[in-house]
Amino acid sequence: MRWLRSISNRLRNLFRKDAVERETDQELRFHLERQIALHTAAGMPPEEARRAALLEFGGVEQFKEECREARGVNRIESLLADVRYGFRSLRKSPGFAVISVLTLALGIGANTAIFSMVNALLLHPYNFRNLDSLVRVWENRGIDEGYDARYIAPADAEDLRSSNGIFEGLTTYSFQSFSLGTEGDVQPILSCRVSANFFDILAVNPAAGRLFSAAEEQPGADQVAILSYGSWQRRFGGDPQLLGKTISLNGRAYTIVGIMPKDFDYPVPVELWVPLALTPAEKADRAQLSLSALARLKSGVSVSQASAVLANFSRRLQQEYPRTNAGRSTTLLQLRKELYMFTLPLFLLLQAAAGFVLLLACANLANLVFARMIGRQREIALRAALGASRGRLGQLFLSETLLYSSAAGVVAIAASFASVRALRTSIPVGWTKWVPGWDGIRVDGSVLVFTIVAALGVGIFLGLATMLHTSRVEPNKTLKETGTGTVTRAKRRLRSGLVVAQVMIALILLVCAGQTIQGFVRLANVYQGFEPANVLRVEISLPEKIYAANVKITNFYQQLLRGTASLSGVRHASLVTNPPASNVDNETTFFSIEGQPALKVSETPSADLQIASPDFFDTLKIASVAGHTFSDADNADAARVAVISHGMATRFWPNGDALGHRIKPGAADSTEPWLTIVGVVGDVRQNWWNPLTRPVIYKPFAQSPQRSMTLLVRAASNPTSYVSAVRDVVRQMDPGIAMEGINTLEEEIADSIAIVRIMGILMGIFGLVALALSSIGVYGVLSESVAQRTHEVGIRLALGANPRDLMKLILGQALKLTGIGLAIAVPCAIAMGQAMANLIFGAITVDFVILGGFTALLLLVALGAGYLPARRAMSVDPVVSLRYE
Amino acid sequence: MSKPTDLVQGTLDLLILKTIALESMHGWAIAQRIRQISKDVLQVNQGALYPALHRLEQQGWIEAEWGESENNRRAKYYSLTKSGKKHLQSEQANWERLAAAIGLVLKTA
Repeated sequence: MRWLRSISNRLRNLFRKDAVERETDQELRFHLERQIALHTAAGMPPEEARRAALLEFGGVEQFKEECREARGVNRIESLLADVRYGFRSLRKSPGFAVISVLTLALGIGANTAIFSMVNALLLHPYNFRNLDSLVRVWENRGIDEGYDARYIAPADAEDLRSSNGIFEGLTTYSFQSFSLGTEGDVQPILSCRVSANFFDILAVNPAAGRLFSAAEEQPGADQVAILSYGSWQRRFGGDPQLLGKTISLNGRAYTIVGIMPKDFDYPVPVELWVPLALTPAEKADRAQLSLSALARLKSGVSVSQASAVLANFSRRLQQEYPRTNAGRSTTLLQLRKELYMFTLPLFLLLQAAAGFVLLLACANLANLVFARMIGRQREIALRAALGASRGRLGQLFLSETLLYSSAAGVVAIAASFASVRALRTSIPVGWTKWVPGWDGIRVDGSVLVFTIVAALGVGIFLGLATMLHTSRVEPNKTLKETGTGTVTRAKRRLRSGLVVAQVMIALILLVCAGQTIQGFVRLANVYQGFEPANVLRVEISLPEKIYAANVKITNFYQQLLRGTASLSGVRHASLVTNPPASNVDNETTFFSIEGQPALKVSETPSADLQIASPDFFDTLKIASVAGHTFSDADNADAARVAVISHGMATRFWPNGDALGHRIKPGAADSTEPWLTIVGVVGDVRQNWWNPLTRPVIYKPFAQSPQRSMTLLVRAASNPTSYVSAVRDVVRQMDPGIAMEGINTLEEEIADSIAIVRIMGILMGIFGLVALALSSIGVYGVLSESVAQRTHEVGIRLALGANPRDLMKLILGQALKLTGIGLAIAVPCAIAMGQAMANLIFGAITVDFVILGGFTALLLLVALGAGYLPARRAMSVDPVVSLRYE
Repeated sequence: MSKPTDLVQGTLDLLILKTIALESMHGWAIAQRIRQISKDVLQVNQGALYPALHRLEQQGWIEAEWGESENNRRAKYYSLTKSGKKHLQSEQANWERLAAAIGLVLKTA
């Protein structure tokens, strides 16, 4: 408790200074009066008693000062004086103040902006209670699926839910696209079918209405829906009376029972949630991994403990159901980690880059401060001569630099509100629709704390650096000197060191930025196997009620294709279920090969399933590898055919004899008809995360018509100009058809890698800022050291030195410093490049063109930074420069 | 600050703590008591007492309270805090050990 009293005393001493002073006066006066009384009682005359008492007491004012010192008032008062002094010097040289505050604000602001992204996307991607206990659970079939599917079989999920002690609860969900509305106005709407406990597991409440009840999980009782806030606003104008009303989904009436809060968008931004009502047969299915699962761990259960329990669980199922579950294992991953498994290292890279920018800003400011310190050497020497201790001087510097950095922090915070808003709004919605947490990017408490800590850290760092720089002031020598003061060898070395460090950091940052951007460009080009240019995509879904029969569906689409293809300038028009870059995985299916039955259900191979109209391959210019693609003859009455991807052909028919073999979707005993392979086409990258060579089975549209298809139109040029024409074609056929996702394929591809693109842009900005800061820094130090040699240059010129040689001398100095920095930085940059290689799917590689280019660029900057001041120094008349002091 | 002052200061602190260990006293009374008990050997400027008192208060060893003096005047009374008592004990023990050691050195050397 001693410290508590001490603090309260100190505060009282500081804030009630006058009262405390008065009390001290009173206390001392009391003492003197008693002493005088003692003497007069002994018979002294009053005047003499008073003098004796004062003599015995000693210097009253001196002791008062000592009392103040003892109470610790002086230290705080001197600090306040220093801060006042700092403000005065800020006001006296506003240019310096503005430049240093802005430089620091830039560095701190860059870090704040990135941290606000990291904070929103990585630390708080979802606003769920106790986010770390939420885990995704899925099963692996133990055979190479060719991609990372994260699904679980319904019956296995049910077993898992009822039979273990690790989960508080487990919920399942799957996506479904509905047609919303009735005749005349039908729109596709993405929804998520969820178990009744879905929202309970996530611990979220509706903004209005209620959640699903367990009874509504039964088929027949499931016609209730919960709307997302966004779709309530967009589609229903925020109608406050909406609860209890019915909407039509796929022709069935659903009652709206709830509306979710604004920020709820799990698992992805869907518009609607409906109960996942599985039939008993669907529930008992163990073969198909068809559901996504999410669980909440019991408190105290760690992920590794849970994984161990799941391993046992999988073993038990393998033994109980060998036909379906052999080789199957269960995996568990924290929700937080699942989301940003790929992007976490990228964010760390960005944060590191922002940190480098701050370091550069610090180095620049340190240079500015040091330059000013040289001018202030006499003042400092005078202070030291008058008895200021080293600690006292340090306090002076520290309070000055802290003042700058706090001002910079304030500017950075003020700017960050604007920059974060700009970051959020300047990026098209299309780019960020797949980035959960993006809307949560804001300047919140933790961002503020981060900024304040960064600002204080910078201030302390700079203050200490200044202290170090001026620690060896010798008042005797400095005060005797005339002129503007000189720079000692040690100090010049320190500042040269700063130039070297700046060049170094700048090169590393530039190279990293360059390589990252190159990597992002490569990633943007991962979409291979087709030509996206000049292709328009339109998602169409036909209402189930009107288009019930396959004939109707086929007729509609055939008419649509004919209508679209006849537009002038249209080269091809076709249909496909899932076009590339949709950010949605293809539907997958098990398949059996005739004559090669899988021994167990669990070993049945799987492939992506696409349904396409004959012109699809020509529309996207997908290469034909063998055989032929579909034709109009492959209609519902003709023999069933399929085209497969090159990756599938080489995997299952390594001898190249895939043509003519027959396959069918499902296990060997399924009732699906056999499909004859008539062609092999080139591999297509479906989404940027999918491997290129996934097996794909294409079925002709006429033989398996679907209501929801994407229309692809290849035009001769300018695909967007066909939007209204295509709309008209559809409207003329049926005004009640919903169209969505109208976009060019090229833009859709750009959107699908938005997050990667945003990062590339940010890295580019950082690289430019780094280049600017380091150029300014190098120029500042060199120009000043040249300016200090104006006198020397004058003498040399007066004595007949060759200007060319002088220029060489000065440039040589500039190049030497830069050269040292570059020599250290090049191996560092190469090492960084190698370390980054695995960050984004191996898209980053050490690139010597980039390395060489930026090295040359920095050398050029150094040459310029030396040349300009050198020319200025030499253009001065020797007579003038000799007088210059 | 040089070493001899530290020594004097430490000694004065110890004397003050010891003096007010039994009852709370004001500054003048402390000065009188130290003078009487030390039989006029320890003569310090009376004023030097006050910075020491304020420092001890700041350190939390003693606390001050305004009260009525024997001649009916307002005076600042100092008394030991709990931690001040412990501090006094350990400082006294230290001092005695040191004094004994110095005495031993002076006698034998």
